[in-house]
Amino acid sequence: MSRSLRVNGTDHEIHSDGETPLLWVLRDELGLKGSKFGCGIGQCGACTVHIDGRAMRSCITPVQEVSAPVTTIEGLATEAGLHPVQEAWIDHNVPQCGYCQSGQVMSAVALLEEEPNPDDERIRRFMSGNLCRCGTYPRIHAAIRAVADGGDA
Amino acid sequence: MNVSRRDLFRLGAAGSGALVLSMTLPGCASRQGREPSHEGGWAPNAWLELDPEGNVIFTLARVEMGQGTYTGITTLVAEELDIPPERIEVRFAPVGSDYTNPQYQLQVTGGSTSLRTSWQPIRAGAARVRHVLVKAAAAVWQVKSEQITTRDGAAHHPDGNQRLPYGDLVSLASRQSLPDEVELKHEDDFRYIGRHNRRLDARAKVTGEAVFGIDVEREGLVYAVVSRPPMQGAWFESVEDAEARKMPGVIDVFTIDRGVAVVAETYWQARKAQEKLDIRWDETDAVTKDHQAVFTQYRRAADDSSGDTERSEGDAMGRLEATDDRFEAEYEAPFLAHATMEPQNATAEVTDIGMQVWAPTQGPDMARIAAARVSRFSPDEITVHTTFLGGGFGRRLTQEYVEEVAAIADRVERPVKLIWSREEDIRHDMYRPAMLHRFRAALDGSRIQAWDHQITGPLIFDWFARNAAAAQYPWAPKFLYNTLASMGRMTEDTFLTPKDHSAIEGAVEYPYDVPDIMVRHTHADAGIPVSYWRSVGHSHNGFAVETFMDELAHQAGEDPVAFRLKHLADMPRHRRVLELAAEKADWSGPLPEGRARGVALHRSFGTYVAQVVEASIENQRIRVHRVVCATDCGQMVNPDVVRMQMEGGIIFGLTAALYGWIDWEDGRLQQSNFHDYTLMRQDETPEIDVILVDSDEGPQGVGEPGTPPAIPALGNALFALTGDRQRRTPFSAGTANA
Ligand code: FES
Ligand code: FES
Repeated sequence: MSRSLRVNGTDHEIHSDGETPLLWVLRDELGLKGSKFGCGIGQCGACTVHIDGRAMRSCITPVQEVSAPVTTIEGLATEAGLHPVQEAWIDHNVPQCGYCQSGQVMSAVALLEEEPNPDDERIRRFMSGNLCRCGTYPRIHAAIRAVADGGDA
Repeated sequence: MNVSRRDLFRLGAAGSGALVLSMTLPGCASRQGREPSHEGGWAPNAWLELDPEGNVIFTLARVEMGQGTYTGITTLVAEELDIPPERIEVRFAPVGSDYTNPQYQLQVTGGSTSLRTSWQPIRAGAARVRHVLVKAAAAVWQVKSEQITTRDGAAHHPDGNQRLPYGDLVSLASRQSLPDEVELKHEDDFRYIGRHNRRLDARAKVTGEAVFGIDVEREGLVYAVVSRPPMQGAWFESVEDAEARKMPGVIDVFTIDRGVAVVAETYWQARKAQEKLDIRWDETDAVTKDHQAVFTQYRRAADDSSGDTERSEGDAMGRLEATDDRFEAEYEAPFLAHATMEPQNATAEVTDIGMQVWAPTQGPDMARIAAARVSRFSPDEITVHTTFLGGGFGRRLTQEYVEEVAAIADRVERPVKLIWSREEDIRHDMYRPAMLHRFRAALDGSRIQAWDHQITGPLIFDWFARNAAAAQYPWAPKFLYNTLASMGRMTEDTFLTPKDHSAIEGAVEYPYDVPDIMVRHTHADAGIPVSYWRSVGHSHNGFAVETFMDELAHQAGEDPVAFRLKHLADMPRHRRVLELAAEKADWSGPLPEGRARGVALHRSFGTYVAQVVEASIENQRIRVHRVVCATDCGQMVNPDVVRMQMEGGIIFGLTAALYGWIDWEDGRLQQSNFHDYTLMRQDETPEIDVILVDSDEGPQGVGEPGTPPAIPALGNALFALTGDRQRRTPFSAGTANA
């Protein structure tokens, strides 16, 4: 049995079993490797994608439960260039090993879409679902602050 | 400064009219044997290539990417070549027969050594290429070389108008002869070193384009998972796999040395089938020690044996015996997991020329040996491609994931990717060793007179030797690997194998001015696998030494900063960072109600770091508000990369101080994932202020030195806050005063 899934504006026929987590469908069936596997239990945020504009943990979301459009890190940039959050990440030298950063960026974009000018406490709380073993937290905070203050998210 | 090592560089032309400088860089290894010999033929390990289209490509063999290495090494090339770093493409060449250099000893990226060892030779190589480009331009323009300037990837005519991009000069330049000596730039003339701050890999890492090991794609790829013994020292006995074999997508189920492998069309199918396996393990010889039992063993060893003397000055033991006014304390550091964000994984494919391996590894040489050990191929039939690493911290110096995937690929004959779950990653790690520290000291007023530090615990090289020893002799037949490994152990501290400093580093270099000093190591191994973990021995020695220093300051009734300074009369670089951190943190200044400050100072990997931590306890929880960090790492190549490494190192240290805990019950590891192996999160992250000291000393390591002082600085702040001394990690919020 196959089902259809809209990812980054394109419709796909999916053949994986319905219980397969969205993360593995994205990575292994659709070849979108930007979303990462970190824990598989919703604890680290490395697998964060947007479903219907909201940040979701794709490692614990069975693909059969996904009916709304999905956006992944690969779908963030447009013809016009990188997303302002991605630009801010580069300006602030955020990534170290980089493995957690797709998830960090997706969470930050979702936060700013929900609330274009969050206060520091809100940034801290919202971003706490995304682990970074390299310790890039101070720069993540600064980069989000910069986008929010620049008002162009 | 002149660099005259002609035998390290050669110039040639490549097919497409490109100029190629090949060079032999010294090993980027913390455990490195003799220098390569050049008699046996030319065996370069780095290539700088300029083509007529203006592309500049720098290829490094055998050097794996660490934190910021990519940007740092590129900056060195850019500086001497006078071309913006963004215009240089860096490639990491695979380790394989094409790149084999049998004279070479083991190469790994670790010990914060990459920039330290590449600093001179890479600049010298790039400067030679600039030299021949200038000679070519001089010939074209019929002017003297000295009149020509270079910048932005072009030679500039003395008239100030004409310029020749390097691409136009390469064919002529490749026919010039290399100078024996070149003048490296004076630091006042640096354009990029010390100034260039953009990470060159940032873009790939915010767009999802960076390829980590787990992202490797091959045509017809299948997936494997492995069930491993649930206890250290348990062995496979039998498996009932009929149910698993019936699961959708399953290709095969079989045993390998390290456990039972399930291979399926997709990762998820392999995981689902794995759940159906019914495996019996022989637990007769399993290790059943928990943290308590390990420390009981260590204490007994410490009581029974005074250990090997690692440093002795004056008569510490005599003086300590002679005085009644002796101060003693004991510290515990637990086992810790690495928990890289990218779980261990590797991909392998058997082709008609041998085996290809793709792995996020810190030691591609050892990966090759690991793959050879378990497959039908010899090392020169195996090529190891490295990828971006989703964190290293020492975890990827050992090669168990490569060993597993090679054994599986050898059997299934399809490209196969092995992925460890987070649970497997935590439970089958090679841990930061648990260590016991005992101190005795005698004070005379506010001066320390005698210092005795006994460190008890395992040596990492005992566990590391398996693949490392064989990787140093890649031509040795496979049946000798085990012999080489045990030889590596037996010959430790002889000419064959350098001394293992892992237990004592950060303790033997005790910097304080004390007349009688004794540092000793008592060997005790609990049978639990251990390995290198960010800052290695410094991670526990820094904690123990700097906490005990704080205890002595308190005992002497002295301010902790003043007390340390008093014992650092002849240590200007130590003093400098300590004074800077104290000043910036307003050490003696007022604090908000319920907060306290603690300080620590530690030098590791050549870099001096002092930190002041400001903390409180709120609702029985430790809160870290601010960390001020002063760092002297010698000449900085990319100052902002230094800053980010300090920030990351501090958070790594604080994570250990607050949460780091690995323990067993009946031989079964209790931690499994991030809900019970906790890492610091965004909402707990303190404000971090990094002060960088300008220095013209050679560049030193920055990846690890931020970690050690963070732990004692926090513990010392908690003591100032509560009066309870933190003698083991993770720290306890204990009797809260808020
Ligand atoms: S992989 Fe999904 S939250 Fe960790
Ligand atoms: S950048 Fe390495 S885990 Fe976040």
